[in-house]
Amino acid sequence: MIVSRRFLGVFGIVAVLVASCAPLVVQEPTQLAPGVGKSFRLTRATEVPLSTGYSTTLRANTRWDLVGTVTQGEVYRTKDQVVTLEGAHIHEGYIVVNQGALVGFYLPVERTFSPVTPTKALSIEP
Amino acid sequence: MKIRAIAVAAIAAPMLLAACATSGAKFSEMATSMSAPKPDTGRIYFYRTTVLGAALQPAVRLNGEVVGKAVPRGFFYADCPPGSYQVATETEVERKLTFTLDAGQVRYVRLSVSMGFWVGHVYGELVDEAKGQEEIADMRYTGAPTRP
Repeated sequence: MIVSRRFLGVFGIVAVLVASCAPLVVQEPTQLAPGVGKSFRLTRATEVPLSTGYSTTLRANTRWDLVGTVTQGEVYRTKDQVVTLEGAHIHEGYIVVNQGALVGFYLPVERTFSPVTPTKALSIEP
Repeated sequence: MKIRAIAVAAIAAPMLLAACATSGAKFSEMATSMSAPKPDTGRIYFYRTTVLGAALQPAVRLNGEVVGKAVPRGFFYADCPPGSYQVATETEVERKLTFTLDAGQVRYVRLSVSMGFWVGHVYGELVDEAKGQEEIADMRYTGAPTRP
């Protein structure tokens, strides 16, 4: 099969364009009701794949403190690591936990919820 | 002949790129003399470790205001009140970074480079404090502290 230079050029340009256009992080409106007084330690690292094709990792031995609740679950943040959600843009995220599973992230700047599908069971202890 | 030209370019390119980098004091040399942020503010350090795409030195905007420039191997900082922040650079594609800042908190934003259609992109990545401290140590100061 003969492949023309023009075809290769166009293919290369399309490949670069596709690579440079990551999808947006999925966000749903939500409302945070502030709360405090609960915390847990994550005992095992958890890698969370995102719908954008990127992933984020929650490290083992990190302590998470409750900052509030959203309809999807309880919202926790940590001082032990930075959590970001990467797509076309990069957003800081807090984790949203429901019945011991990570169900998504709360984006504190955008004040939105970004779901994780499927949910991820977390290995936690008080 | 062609190979020789490539070899010369390979040697010359890093030297030229290094020349584009800043010549201010290193972070590690300045760290002890730098004043701490006021108690009711936090500090955001911006730094760029790579000389890749050295000719590309876009302005860095924090909540829409220019606070510095993405100079290869350089750093600068901004002391800001607690709140929500958005970092953006003016390149072919705008890739924003959003994060919060608490009073007394120190944030590290690494200015990374990725390949673009015509030119590269420079974008901010929020990094852990330990990683930020390690990476910024050899970076050189590029400007006066700014407040948005």
